[in-house]
Amino acid sequence: MVSKPSRRRLVATGLALVAGTAALTALPAFIDPYSLRIVTGVLMWAGLACAWNIVGGYAGYISFGHSAFFGIGAYVTGILMQSGVGMPFLATLPLGILVAVGVAAAIGGPTMRLRGAYFAIATWAFAEMLMQLATVLDITGGTGGLSLPAYLNEFFFYYTMLVVALAVYLGAWYLLERTRFGYRLKALRDHEPAAEAVGIHTTRVKVQAFALSAGITSLFGSIYAYWVTFIDPRSVMGPEITDQMVVMVLLGGLGTVWGPALGATVLWVTNRYIWSEFGDTAIYLPILGLIIALIVLFLPNGLISLLPGGRRGHGVLTRLLRKL
Amino acid sequence: MPASRDARPQPRSPLVVEGAVKHFGGVTAVDGVGLEVASREVVGVIGPNGSGKSTLFNLIAGMLALDEGRVWLDGREVTGLPAWRIARAGLARTFQIPSLFDNISVRDNLLAAAVEGDWKGAPGRAGEVLEMLEIGHVADNLASELSGGQQKLLEFGRVCMRDPSVILLDEATAGVHPKIRRIMLEAIRRVREAGATFLVIEHDMEMVRETCDRIVVMDAGRVVVEGSFDEIADNREVRRAYLGRRE
Amino acid sequence: MDVLLQALLNGILIGGILICLTVGFQLTFGVLHVIDFAVGGWVMLGGYAAYWASRLLGLDPFISVFFIFVVFAGIGCALGPLIYHVRTSRYARPDLMALAFTFGLFIMMRGGALWLWSFDSRSVDSVLSGASLSVGPVTIPLLRLSAFGMALLLGLGLFVLLYRTRFGMAVRAVAQNRDHAGLMGVDVKRVSAYVYGIYTGITASAGVLLATIYSVNPEVGVRYTLFAFFVAVLAGLGSVGGVLVAGLILGLVESLVGTYVGTRYSLLVVFATLYLVLLISPKGILRRGI
Repeated sequence: MVSKPSRRRLVATGLALVAGTAALTALPAFIDPYSLRIVTGVLMWAGLACAWNIVGGYAGYISFGHSAFFGIGAYVTGILMQSGVGMPFLATLPLGILVAVGVAAAIGGPTMRLRGAYFAIATWAFAEMLMQLATVLDITGGTGGLSLPAYLNEFFFYYTMLVVALAVYLGAWYLLERTRFGYRLKALRDHEPAAEAVGIHTTRVKVQAFALSAGITSLFGSIYAYWVTFIDPRSVMGPEITDQMVVMVLLGGLGTVWGPALGATVLWVTNRYIWSEFGDTAIYLPILGLIIALIVLFLPNGLISLLPGGRRGHGVLTRLLRKL
Repeated sequence: MPASRDARPQPRSPLVVEGAVKHFGGVTAVDGVGLEVASREVVGVIGPNGSGKSTLFNLIAGMLALDEGRVWLDGREVTGLPAWRIARAGLARTFQIPSLFDNISVRDNLLAAAVEGDWKGAPGRAGEVLEMLEIGHVADNLASELSGGQQKLLEFGRVCMRDPSVILLDEATAGVHPKIRRIMLEAIRRVREAGATFLVIEHDMEMVRETCDRIVVMDAGRVVVEGSFDEIADNREVRRAYLGRRE
Repeated sequence: MDVLLQALLNGILIGGILICLTVGFQLTFGVLHVIDFAVGGWVMLGGYAAYWASRLLGLDPFISVFFIFVVFAGIGCALGPLIYHVRTSRYARPDLMALAFTFGLFIMMRGGALWLWSFDSRSVDSVLSGASLSVGPVTIPLLRLSAFGMALLLGLGLFVLLYRTRFGMAVRAVAQNRDHAGLMGVDVKRVSAYVYGIYTGITASAGVLLATIYSVNPEVGVRYTLFAFFVAVLAGLGSVGGVLVAGLILGLVESLVGTYVGTRYSLLVVFATLYLVLLISPKGILRRGI
């Protein structure tokens, strides 16, 4: 059974969320467009990292193939918005989610029978396969890529990302920390046979988590495609997408609700800083790799474990607030 | 380490355990066990299930870390050393369930045991051991293909390959065919004559009577009595702790 | 018919190098229980090492390969204890942490190469480049033949080391059971470090050979990691013997798809096959231990 949080903590969490949302809503009025773009990026990556964490952190299945779902979302939106089809942007979002969830549900069953490294290799192979497919198909424009109708309104993308990211985090927090579903996931992460022994339908739970994660990833892919107005196989299905999700979650704290947001913020701001300082992000990649290695060696529970009282990241925000 | 501890003269016996303690969570599995095994002696450890015998073996072999206490092997302190260093210092052991290198041949299992010892002489030695244990006809089979009894023999064969000074045997003859039991007892006798010292966990009272010079009875992590087989058999403590529960 | 013969020949020659590429990876998995994502990174770095040895020192890759083996084996021996530490740590899931660690190494290698040497492909020339033998209807490029021979030599060396020496016996004991090898007096940590060193040395050498045949750029690592996974999964993870067959299969698949379907589909086919093999028979088709 799920324990009820104390009223004080709920109130504190609520206040924190309201204050945070208010600050984020008002933010565009105070910063320049360049910074706004960076914050938009932070929101997107925070949402993606959260999605990856559902499978990687809570179910304990390290996926190296999430770029596939990001790409699915991007391509569904990109293809449907071509002048021949001309679907409105918002109408493409549910379709993108549907395709990603469908694919995830279809491959989830057989793929998630594989454990540990086998699962990692399988998802990686699957994502690379989809990327290769995108480069040889005509409908995706091959290596030439696809251009989307430009809608150059930074505020629109900022608020879209904000709403989606907030919804994703609230949903994830509720689902993973406050419902049976979250307990089922954690049970199978910690000991799958034991989880089965207490009657958890592990295959179903795993596939549900995988599909949920895929759907969220795809949604961000769709928004991203419209935001940047040009996509090609490398930019929306390339391994860097997955690399970043993995690193952000590891950096923030694997299997915690708010860790991915923390990791995403730190990493994406670093990325943009390097971009503005050096004019390209070539050095970003080795730094990313170095961070993973160092985190594994010295900080396996992520940055969030450094925060006061944030050992496993449960209700960290509340604890932080109480300190203030 | 306090100076007073080091003032104690280094023990000379092949195996000395002093005040060994091991806790698992709230349970104290081994609670202040001390024992000393003289050269070429065979000491039997008996006691009911859960009395801490296997934990004691794991502590001596370095597979578990001692919470308290010290261990000496051939006069050299091995407390806190990793298992491989203790093995190099002259300790060998077998397990209740034989633990072999399953997917390599019987002969390779023997050779693997000599990898830190006399490697040049290992093939010849392996031939002798195979013959002594009467498993020469399966030398090229995988270890996992052997019968349970043969696996126990092979595990003891690995011990023979290494020329250890102290050997810990965990139920060497439990549940094996009488013929294999005979081969095993004969092999143990020969290794002992060659100069090895034994500490054995045993439930088979016949074997205890035949082979052990002295017996240590454990219950609830402590040594309750020690003495010869006849002394032990008459002891009330032992009946209560061990025989009483069995019958 | 001639086209088929030529494709088969090319497949076998490349397959030999793929065997060399995967055999160390398998050994590492067998001994350290670590899936090294960085395997393609070692191949790529080996290729760059050959390029710079040729550029700066004028060494032919078939000569520099020996030095590169030694240098990379040294790097691997230094890195091995770290990987061993992560794999045997008290983390909740040390296997996944080790996977993440090598994943980080791989990103570091790929990113480092991109940063230092940019996207450009570099080719490594040997005196053998361009020369070829004609046997009936097929042409055998001398370069590929020599690379094949060198790969077999390295692979054979590894087999001799594993099955004919004292160190090899210790390695096989550790691969069978770490704890029990320790009870035989084997220093598992040191053996593991040496194994990682042998693996990096042999894999970088395979990289030298591949760079002379094709060329090297920072992105080739991904492709070779995939190839190593493919061969390893087909052979059964940790199986050194199975690699002999699985490497040839991949070489033939790649060559035949390249000849008859088109090279741009070859990666797609390889990835799809890998995925399917994993789903159908994750324990490998040719499973047999070290």
